[in-house]
Amino acid sequence: MNEIVGMILAGGRVDELLTLTEKRPKAAVPIFGIYRFIDFVLSNMMRSRIDNIGVLSQFRPYSLMRHIGTGEHWDFIGRKRGIRMLPPYKGLKESDWYRGTADAVYQNISYIEEFKPQYVIIAAADHIYQMDYQNVFEFHKKKRADVTVCFTRSKIKKPWFGYGIIEKNGRLVTYQEKPEKPLSDWISMTIYIFRTDILFDLLKENTQTDSHEFGRDIISQLPGQCAIYGYKFCDYWSYARTIDLYYETNMEFLKGKINLNTWQVCTNLIEGCALRDRLPARIEGNATNSYISDGCIVKGTVVNSILSPGIIVEKGAAVIDSVIFHNTVIKGNARLKRVICDKICEIGENAEIGTYGAKTPSIEFKNLLNTGITILGKETKIAPGVKIGANTVVYSGIHVIDKEIKPGSTIR
Amino acid sequence: MKKEIIALLLAGGVGSRLSILAKLRAKPAIPFGGIYRIIDFTMSNIANSKVDVVGVLTQYKPLSLMEHIDNGRPWDLFGKTRLVEILPPKTGEEISDWYKGTSDAVYQNIGFIEDFSPEMVLIVSGDHIYYMDYNALRRYHKNKKADATIGLIRIPEEQAHHFGIADIDRNGRITDWQEKPKKPKSNLASMGIYIFNTEILKTALRESAQKGGVDFAKDIIPLLLKKRKRIFGYKFTDYWRDVGTIDAYWDCNMDLLKTDSGLHIENWNIRTNLFIHGEVGLRPSAYVGKNARVKNSLTSSGCIIEGTVENSIISPGVIVDKGARVIDSIIFHNTVIKTNAFLSKVIIDKNVRIGAGVKIGAGNSKPNKTLGMNLSTGITVIGKNAIIPDRMIIGKNCIISSGIALNKYRLKKINSGLTL
Repeated sequence: MNEIVGMILAGGRVDELLTLTEKRPKAAVPIFGIYRFIDFVLSNMMRSRIDNIGVLSQFRPYSLMRHIGTGEHWDFIGRKRGIRMLPPYKGLKESDWYRGTADAVYQNISYIEEFKPQYVIIAAADHIYQMDYQNVFEFHKKKRADVTVCFTRSKIKKPWFGYGIIEKNGRLVTYQEKPEKPLSDWISMTIYIFRTDILFDLLKENTQTDSHEFGRDIISQLPGQCAIYGYKFCDYWSYARTIDLYYETNMEFLKGKINLNTWQVCTNLIEGCALRDRLPARIEGNATNSYISDGCIVKGTVVNSILSPGIIVEKGAAVIDSVIFHNTVIKGNARLKRVICDKICEIGENAEIGTYGAKTPSIEFKNLLNTGITILGKETKIAPGVKIGANTVVYSGIHVIDKEIKPGSTIR
Repeated sequence: MKKEIIALLLAGGVGSRLSILAKLRAKPAIPFGGIYRIIDFTMSNIANSKVDVVGVLTQYKPLSLMEHIDNGRPWDLFGKTRLVEILPPKTGEEISDWYKGTSDAVYQNIGFIEDFSPEMVLIVSGDHIYYMDYNALRRYHKNKKADATIGLIRIPEEQAHHFGIADIDRNGRITDWQEKPKKPKSNLASMGIYIFNTEILKTALRESAQKGGVDFAKDIIPLLLKKRKRIFGYKFTDYWRDVGTIDAYWDCNMDLLKTDSGLHIENWNIRTNLFIHGEVGLRPSAYVGKNARVKNSLTSSGCIIEGTVENSIISPGVIVDKGARVIDSIIFHNTVIKTNAFLSKVIIDKNVRIGAGVKIGAGNSKPNKTLGMNLSTGITVIGKNAIIPDRMIIGKNCIISSGIALNKYRLKKINSGLTL
């Protein structure tokens, strides 16, 4: 028996990340060199001593499943500790894809019941923050709350969030899901603590309707109906929902706003092309204000960039203001500026990527891609000498041989 | 569980010529190349050669070694039919005592060998840096219908007095054997790598033990030769280093920074244990700061480099502050080097604090007073957990012992060649 069980919502794809989420859920997108988004919530759960976790996933869960493995990297392995992937399944009555976050949890009530917990904590897998959930938990118990929702202040003015009005005593009086004109600047972090019996009742009630999202369909109905409280979190939190925000979050890491030496985030070091069996980084050229992971070989120049494991920057090549994922090779004299480059790409000699046309927005994604960032999908190959203008997206697996790709293009 | 071949890894070595690096740990457990330990090379060679049962014979300060080997998983030697077992000295059996030598250690573990009834036993030592496919050795051993085969490498003659020296005939059969000779008959030295047919080995160990023999090179090989057993030499010509002295250890590390040294661990598939004490596990990637200069160096996870690093090897979690300069040096885990410190040709063990403005590797080149010619090329070694106070000056060929907090003394300067 456990007092509290964790459920992680890891299904979401998030279209705004374009090719980064082409073949993986956002929770599995690499970040800060050696991590994936989900490492942050998993590490938080681990350090908050929440010992049993269910991970709800639906969209292409393979990279996620491999990454989580047995859970040992987050110490979720032992007699009383465990982590379980909970994909959609067919049963006697309910046999369907997850129709929303609430439905995903509803379909896995039996997993929660195994532990007979008094409380359930539900958290999204794709946010960057460090938090001790035990603090929320104490708040929840002190307030004798039925439901506690975590909120943080955000500058982002986009209709992506739930907004809450929280009274001085912590009570949540209003909750609006994705409103046109928010009434406060406290946004939901998609972290909920429920009393288990109340959660089950709410989920069963929700099955009667035809929409099954926690924020929109459950939380928004609760103020005034039960003891629902808002917990205010004031430390670093990033949603990294768009390419711009993802890029900005990486740059904030470079500026030292996120100190991972103190956060002590855990990740799977041995899966796929992670750190496993790699040498320390070999730096023969120049590196300035950059994170260089083990297994990199830098013979050229790296400035203001984050390099995942196994990247080769050949002589004369320059990587500037960029984020490069695992095992990409940047050949001699190639230049990259403000590029997010997915895994296992090959940038040919003398290629120039993102070095011009920063002011020409993307034609297809005008609102999403207009700050001069260029994105190369997984296993992209750029032929020698190719020039690619900024605000361009190249989808995964494409071999680009055209002499020039104009700024703002989309290549599929 | 029946196996064709099993491996015994001799990891008991004291490594006294490595001074304080080997004071708190067995020689095979000494860190190497940033994230490795010396034993990783042999362990990886065994695993890469698909030998999947390994007994690790330990005696001297085995704790860090045992932690490092763990359950064998880093080398994939973990599973229903794959395993690593630590074999420390034990009491309570018919033959049981401290290990008195290499062959004695194996003799006391005949039981372990018998558990797998192997045809052959591979015996290797855990303190050399090399890459070798032991299958080639095994094929050679079988082709020659040998009773035992010894790995041999050519060495400069002046080093012969450190090694077992073999003379071989045209067919590769060993005709003569000298242990650490003053006047060597050849320049083919034993690499400490043997394949024995199990029955031959067992008989030889028993016979030798009755006469008080304890060592492979000194007792077992001469005994087998006297009995006219078929002992062959397998000549190895690739990179191989015995890192038994401070000089050799430093040179071998520096070979990692040269493209033509022959030490290409990129291609060697060398594995290590990334997990213990969060050596890599909890750390983000290495950060190279705004004013940093890193040239021809290796940096590991969790390093924060704000100063200058040249021709050096930096282990996980090392901090090099602004204005500090680290040149031709090897820095182990979690050491902190404060502002404007200057280090040249220094080996620094784990968790050392080098104060601001400290200068190490300055002054004349007097050899070390206690180690003499074994520490005379200008390398200074600083032991684990030492604290070097701000602005202290330390010369060349010095040894600062583990755990010394020099800030408690009124010293300002330590001259070249001194041991503290």
